[in-house]
Amino acid sequence: MTTVVMRTTARVVVPIILVVSISLFVEGHNLPGGGFIGGVLTTTAFAVIYLAFGLDFLERGVLGRDVDPGKEPSRDRVVVAYRRLFEYGLAIAVLSGLVPLLFGLPFLTQTFVIFEHVPIYGHVEIASALAFDFGVYCVVVGGLLTILSVVGAE
Amino acid sequence: MPPELSVVLAAVALPFIAAVCTPVLYRLLGERTGYAGVAVALASFLLLASQRGTEGTVGLEWVPSLDIALRFYLDGWGLLFAMLACGIGTLIFLYSPAYMHGEPHLTRFYTALLAFMGSIVGVALAADLIAIFLFWELTSLCSFVLIGHYTADDSSKYAARMAMFITVGGGLFLLVGLLLLSVVAGDVVGTDAAFNLAAMLENPEAIAEGLRERGLFLPVLGLLAIGAGTKSAQVPLHFWLPNAMAAPTPVSAFLHSATMVKVGVYFIGRMRPILVGEEWLFLFATLGLTTMTVCAVMAVAATDIKELLAYSTASHLGLMVAGFGFTSIYGAETGVFHLLNHALFKATLFLVAGIVAHEAGTRNIDKLGGLRQDLPITAIITVIVALSMAGIPPFNGFYSKELLFEAAVEASHHHDIGALGWLYPAVAVFGSVFTVLYSLRFLSLFFGDRPEELGHIHRPSTTLVIAPGVLAVLAAVVSVEPQLAVDVIVQSGLDATALEHHEMHVELPTSYSTPVGMSAVTIALGLAAYPFYGRIHGGINAALAAAPPIAANWWYDAVVGNLTGGGARIGDRIHNGLLRTYATWTLLGTCGLALAGFAAAGTVASSELIDFDATPAVALVLLVAVVAGLAVVRSESHIAGILTLSILGFMIAIFYILASAPDLALTQLVVETLVLLIFLLVIEEIPEYYEISLGKYARDAVVSLAVGATAFITVLVTTDARPEGRTDIARVYAEQAVPEGGGTNIVNVTLVDFRGFDTMGELVVVAMAAISILTLIVMRSGGDDE
Repeated sequence: MTTVVMRTTARVVVPIILVVSISLFVEGHNLPGGGFIGGVLTTTAFAVIYLAFGLDFLERGVLGRDVDPGKEPSRDRVVVAYRRLFEYGLAIAVLSGLVPLLFGLPFLTQTFVIFEHVPIYGHVEIASALAFDFGVYCVVVGGLLTILSVVGAE
Repeated sequence: MPPELSVVLAAVALPFIAAVCTPVLYRLLGERTGYAGVAVALASFLLLASQRGTEGTVGLEWVPSLDIALRFYLDGWGLLFAMLACGIGTLIFLYSPAYMHGEPHLTRFYTALLAFMGSIVGVALAADLIAIFLFWELTSLCSFVLIGHYTADDSSKYAARMAMFITVGGGLFLLVGLLLLSVVAGDVVGTDAAFNLAAMLENPEAIAEGLRERGLFLPVLGLLAIGAGTKSAQVPLHFWLPNAMAAPTPVSAFLHSATMVKVGVYFIGRMRPILVGEEWLFLFATLGLTTMTVCAVMAVAATDIKELLAYSTASHLGLMVAGFGFTSIYGAETGVFHLLNHALFKATLFLVAGIVAHEAGTRNIDKLGGLRQDLPITAIITVIVALSMAGIPPFNGFYSKELLFEAAVEASHHHDIGALGWLYPAVAVFGSVFTVLYSLRFLSLFFGDRPEELGHIHRPSTTLVIAPGVLAVLAAVVSVEPQLAVDVIVQSGLDATALEHHEMHVELPTSYSTPVGMSAVTIALGLAAYPFYGRIHGGINAALAAAPPIAANWWYDAVVGNLTGGGARIGDRIHNGLLRTYATWTLLGTCGLALAGFAAAGTVASSELIDFDATPAVALVLLVAVVAGLAVVRSESHIAGILTLSILGFMIAIFYILASAPDLALTQLVVETLVLLIFLLVIEEIPEYYEISLGKYARDAVVSLAVGATAFITVLVTTDARPEGRTDIARVYAEQAVPEGGGTNIVNVTLVDFRGFDTMGELVVVAMAAISILTLIVMRSGGDDE
């Protein structure tokens, strides 16, 4: 699959997918989207990279490390990073649920504030659910990429 | 006077807190950790003692919506049992450091022992059915760890597994019984009493009446009896108790004498005011007397001193169960008083057995004798408690056995129970004769000739003798002044288990009565038969050897052995290491369960769904999907198959868009793309074509048709269950999304605001899937370089 056409397409498409996935995640509360869909789309971008450039590309090309062929897939630095990502994501989700307990509210209570007259944007809404949704995003991206790279390496 | 919540909580929680801290304590104190246990047990004991005379319920909220609470009910009966556990626990902890000197895994030992004590105190005081069950099973779990202490020893593992299997299994019967009871109590007394045992004890007649009206009286009685009977080693499930002697001796003393095995007896006493009646008498008196006799006979057949004591324990548990089984006041007196007496003498005897085994190096009865020259203090202790076990006057066991005879005779006077009227007293006497026999045999270890091959026996250390000494002194005090024990604790325990109030008086009989005559016959027969002990012992063993099915152990081995073998054979067929086989069984199992569920519920899809009118656009999309589905089956190469499969997926996404579900469509599109990419990533490694036999083609076709049909039927049936129009929940979500969640995307607001907990669960699933795949791959690639 590592043809020139594929690589060229990937170079153009991957940034677009990433930007779209982030916008899906941020806008999720008011428009179609959210942490889960954003996370899956981000994973898709990585899958395209893997497909176009091979599994070792991130480790060799981006992180600038030599790949040790005899090494177990689970020891790769990228895999460790993915694993951390979903671990932290789960922690963020749980912690965001625990915060309301400090205010005497039930676990996972969410709230939101709306700021008017913010320069450039004007009307900005900050929902506490965004933190939880960020946790969802991290778990989905980390979990799926772990599965993808470990299974793909096989 | 109501009890203090903080004091009760502290008494129950202290052992658990100490159990958690044991690893730290062990690092600080080493083998002297046992003395820390002494402090904890003594503290709990004193806390409980300070609550003597109080009665009432205290508790903390736990699951308020179901009215389940961490509720404790204090009365004389619970207090007697809890104080016994703590008091004997104190002495066990005192005894353990010297006995367990140099043994491995002491941290685990003390942790389990402390938790064990705490859970027994919990069972004794808990007044909430759920809490009782939890503490009940916790005692089983702790005893599993304790009995299996010598993890390298096969007999230890076997005994631990057996004890766990029987007592935890019995606990499940108890759970069902308790749930049935709670349903009836909720109806009869009020919903806030559904799990509240204290409230049930206040209205025993109403509960019994309610149970009878619903036809649940016998089922509940039977289920609770199975639970209590397994725990208290009643025939025919008594065999785990003698096997449990594989545990270290301090554990045996604790487990067999004072506590866990008596939990069942305790519970029978607790439920007695509610369930007592004709059925109760028949069930428990028969069960108890059978156990008492069978286990006394088995004790005579024993060749190991701990085995003898273990069978004797089961026999005495039978005595207590039979006592509570008799509905007269004497029955309750027997149960309560013998619980105390038995704990005093049996714990001592086990500790003595530990000293003998420790110092003489053998537990074989035939190889021991004449130990009084080497162990004079231990010999004096043994005389007191062994005669007490035999029920020889004026030792304490005599009084409670006398009460049993009294109750048995009383039952034949007051109930029209036919032949059982004389059978009960006769069996009680028969079993007691064997009790006298084995008690004398145990005593004979210290008298008679000293066998030649018995080497030098050194004196036990002081701490080993203190614990049995204290218990023997207590037993002696009760023997001399039984009324003292009655006044201090037994009377209040009696009030809680008896139906009517009765001032209990215990003293040596001064004139002839039927029970006195029965006692005289028992002792005379026992003494007369003692010279023939060897022949009786040999005869019973010969009978057991001739017909193995007589022994309950044989049944256990047969059943469990066959189950294990059968399980392994089935496992080999299903788990043959081929992914295809796993998938086949899983999918077919799921289909079977789902379809059987629909069939059992009698679900029928309504005909309205058939005349579903689709717009031309939807019809076109679905048509393309069907064509793509056919193309998948017909495709020649893997790549073509995956690409056509994606067409199907994208068509479904378009269908979602047409059905105005943009979020769903987006998810479908993105997931479809990702799956396509993953397939493409993996596909390079897969061979172009497979050679598959026709049989496998047929099997795969059947499986896929079954899965498809199940999915189709499920969709048809479940969408049919949708009520007309919007449901309340749908309306509320739609209306509240903006004001409550601050978001206009209802799907996302539902996911993160309204149903955040569900989403959290899904996150955990994703994380677990990733971890399990990592583990799978790492484990497969050896993992030995870790």
